[in-house]
Amino acid sequence: MKKRDFLIEIGTEELPPKSLPELSRAFTDGIVRGLDAASLAHGPVVAYATPRRLAARVSRLAESQPEQQIRRKGPPVMAAFDANGEPTRAATAFAESCGTTPDQLGRVEEPKGAFLFYEGRRAGQATLALLPGIVQESLDKLPIAKRMRWGSGSVEFVRPVHWVVMLFGHDVVDCSLLGLPAGDSTRGHRFHSSRPIKVSPATYERRLETAGHVVASFAERRQRIQRGVLDLAASLGGDAVMSESLLDEVTALVEWPVPVAGRFEDRFLELPPEVVIATVQDHQRYFPVRDPDGKLTPWFITVSNIESRDPAQVRAGNERVVRPRLADAAFFWETDRKQPLAAQRKALADVTFQKQLGSLLAKSDRVASLAERVAEVAGSDSALARRAADLAKCDLMTAMVGEFPELQGLMGRYYATHDGEHEEVAAALEEQYRPRFAGDRLPETGAGTALAIADKLDTIVGIFAAGQKPTGAKDPFGLRRAALGVLRTVVEKRIDIDLQSLIDAALVAVRADMQAAAAERAPQKDSNTVVATGSFPQLSGPDPVAAEIYEYIMERLRAYYVEGGLGVTTEMFDAVLARRPASPLDFDARLRALADFLSLPDAASLAAANKRIANILRKSEQDVPARVDASLLQHTAEHRLATEVEGLREDVESLLAARRYEAALRKLATLRPHVDAFFDGVMVMADNPAVRANRLALLAALSRLFGETADLSRLPG
Amino acid sequence: MPPRQKLGVAPATFQGLVFALKKYWSEQGCVILEPYDMEMGAGTFHPATFLRAVGPEPWSAAYVQPSRRPTDGRYGENPFRLQHYYQFQVVIKPSPDDIVEKYLGSLRALGFDPLTHDIRLVEDNWESPTLGAWGLGWEIWLNGMEITQFTYFQQVGGLDCRPVMGEITYGLERLAMYLQGVESIFDLTWTDGPLGRVTYGDVYHQNEVEQSKYNFEIADVAELFHQFDAQERECQRLLEAGLPLPAYERMLRSSHTFNLLDARRAISVTERQRYILRVRTLARAVTEAYYKTREALGFPMLGGATT
Repeated sequence: MKKRDFLIEIGTEELPPKSLPELSRAFTDGIVRGLDAASLAHGPVVAYATPRRLAARVSRLAESQPEQQIRRKGPPVMAAFDANGEPTRAATAFAESCGTTPDQLGRVEEPKGAFLFYEGRRAGQATLALLPGIVQESLDKLPIAKRMRWGSGSVEFVRPVHWVVMLFGHDVVDCSLLGLPAGDSTRGHRFHSSRPIKVSPATYERRLETAGHVVASFAERRQRIQRGVLDLAASLGGDAVMSESLLDEVTALVEWPVPVAGRFEDRFLELPPEVVIATVQDHQRYFPVRDPDGKLTPWFITVSNIESRDPAQVRAGNERVVRPRLADAAFFWETDRKQPLAAQRKALADVTFQKQLGSLLAKSDRVASLAERVAEVAGSDSALARRAADLAKCDLMTAMVGEFPELQGLMGRYYATHDGEHEEVAAALEEQYRPRFAGDRLPETGAGTALAIADKLDTIVGIFAAGQKPTGAKDPFGLRRAALGVLRTVVEKRIDIDLQSLIDAALVAVRADMQAAAAERAPQKDSNTVVATGSFPQLSGPDPVAAEIYEYIMERLRAYYVEGGLGVTTEMFDAVLARRPASPLDFDARLRALADFLSLPDAASLAAANKRIANILRKSEQDVPARVDASLLQHTAEHRLATEVEGLREDVESLLAARRYEAALRKLATLRPHVDAFFDGVMVMADNPAVRANRLALLAALSRLFGETADLSRLPG
Repeated sequence: MPPRQKLGVAPATFQGLVFALKKYWSEQGCVILEPYDMEMGAGTFHPATFLRAVGPEPWSAAYVQPSRRPTDGRYGENPFRLQHYYQFQVVIKPSPDDIVEKYLGSLRALGFDPLTHDIRLVEDNWESPTLGAWGLGWEIWLNGMEITQFTYFQQVGGLDCRPVMGEITYGLERLAMYLQGVESIFDLTWTDGPLGRVTYGDVYHQNEVEQSKYNFEIADVAELFHQFDAQERECQRLLEAGLPLPAYERMLRSSHTFNLLDARRAISVTERQRYILRVRTLARAVTEAYYKTREALGFPMLGGATT
């Protein structure tokens, strides 16, 4: 089979840097999928992506499809011929679409009846003819957040399109894409290159680099930037701080990367380093430079898109931009510290957390009570937890966080430290938002842990109570992450907290604030209603919202275990969930014990036995005595099992009470031969009702001991 | 590709910068307009942009627009922030294929050699909740400094823009500070001729001090609330009378009144959304009414072609 290389390039105005890698991947994948679906054999595929182009090269693409085997089902035979046996319109239309006549069609018998059937071969189509459709389909399916139009056209794309290169070998693929005819000429760098550049699939990358001043490959450009920036930093005696995401973004912003070093005034190094980094890195897309001791230096490195005739001007310009920004930050740093952090608290009353839930101050107060409670359970200092909670949201009112929202928590820590707050309180302010993402660190201090749990739980409970629970993919308040954060924190830090009662407590507080907020929104109405602001009655009876929240958090716990690669199956999770463990920590212990149990050679047989016992007990429809009567035991195997169970009972019960589920199950596992022997030799449903009841009692006792940790009957097998 | 614009001489004064931009865009064929004589937050609010973006008629214009953002006032004490500043606005509809080239040509005309200065188009999408308008485009960086906003309008007042208007907004003070190498807006040379040198501070410093005080401390909140309501009513009445252009001016007023109330911190976070919605409702109604009046006139700027 003959083969040629294929090149497609879409030339555009500057594409959004943050979505460029994803666009490039989707574009290339879409083409590969199209080629594969069309059975077009090909070699390796290379993707290219720059601010002004999406491109891909497919090596050794077959010139045509292999011969196609066609199998098509037509209309039912009943509907294909009229009373005279003449083909109906349905039959002739189907035959025509297959390129044949009705009398040449076969039949296929199916349960629903007989259908016309066509089977045939068709010569494979030429690749040249298939390529436009394949590329178009890939373009149509690109994940573009917002498509745009330009000029008078109706074509929509990420940004306006200016040229299309589409070459199969040396032949231009004759088609039009995104409103433009495909050609064989690309464009180079916006400023370093002016004339169209003729390319072929083989010369594309090289021609663009030499004649176009464009490094077309994203990966290659990224590597050059990384190397260039690190080398430049090294020449300044330091090391560049390079986050992966910034490196990606910078790579997506340039076609011809040239690193340039700049410097800011030393006095800005008195600012917290995170503030300088936020300014330099997040706002300006510069790479900060650290010295060998890890301390920030006044150097930064920017990656320009040109080989400037006068690099000093590029440097001076960038230095000019960063100066006022750092000066602003320094001003905020000075201003914010003129009053203690605690003084910002009153302003929280004016900020709405959520319309129905009232202000941030109200939230802060709720969280403080909850954090105290968590600290008590966790055995840490509840006074510190309360103080931390009182200060937790104050930094949101500072000028610095107003300008750099990403520094929330951290600035609280700096300002609290400045105010001479307890070290643990200050640390807690930063730790309250942890874990912020999968794999993030957990809070470390007692106060931070209590605050982090309380803050997240209050948000979850509040948003559910306000009727805004997440639906589908919509989770604007980040409740999934919050729930997972609470669970990770209590399980991994081994805090034995009763989740249900904590939810209840949070809900009581939330409901009270919702009433207060509602009363405040409509004070003139219902003037007879007394707006209570003091204590509210405790929840009486199960609250449906509390139950819903518990379920929601348990579903997150399921995801944590089942998707967490811990070898937990959803049946194992359900087996433990059936026991409604009071705390996630208890849940964890049971699940681990169950996993251990299931790894034992005796497990499968015992799990099956438990299932069988559950069935027998359910079907027996008779009262089962509470105790086994030894005098009624007849069979040896029955006798033996009863003795063994009784011999283990006390030990197992005390192990269970101590939550040593693993040891309890291991002990129970030793019963396996006796359970097997029992079922082999003993007929449970004996004719004598007393004997029968006694055997059921024995099985019930056995099942109780086994089932205390988890409902084993839910396991498969 | 258009013939490359010759590298110009960098304007040495603030007014020189305005002249240079007017000259350049005049040469490109734009109608050179004067500022709209009402308070507004940005050049986009000028009917030459906002209303002309509506409907099928072609249009192109360039003008300076004084822009008022009461909350940005700093009593003349911050070297970079003003509550009253200038935008240079260019709109072309339909956006020509080479509109980016044309824009880059204006930078060459101002003496910026793109092989010396690092010029970048960095994604920045524009959305105005008050105007019910959005577009996609970039901020333009010159050696890391944002000097221009570039937007392809997609929707205005809730109506799809067909054809699309391209909008270019230069921040004049920033650009001038760069050209003149000064560290404070107030040190900008406004002009330096036979009658001597006059600075931006000479022209506007006192205004910044007094207007900041008015915006933040003195403006009569009760009266502003009253005015907001009155303008909203009047706008609706004018729409009923089939007068979208006068109605539009009432909407501009109500929008500025809202900004003043905002500066006085008289509007709570929750109320804010409601006020924005009220202005947007007016903007939508005006847009639709304007479209209808142009349609009734047979879209005269289509030049005889009625489709």
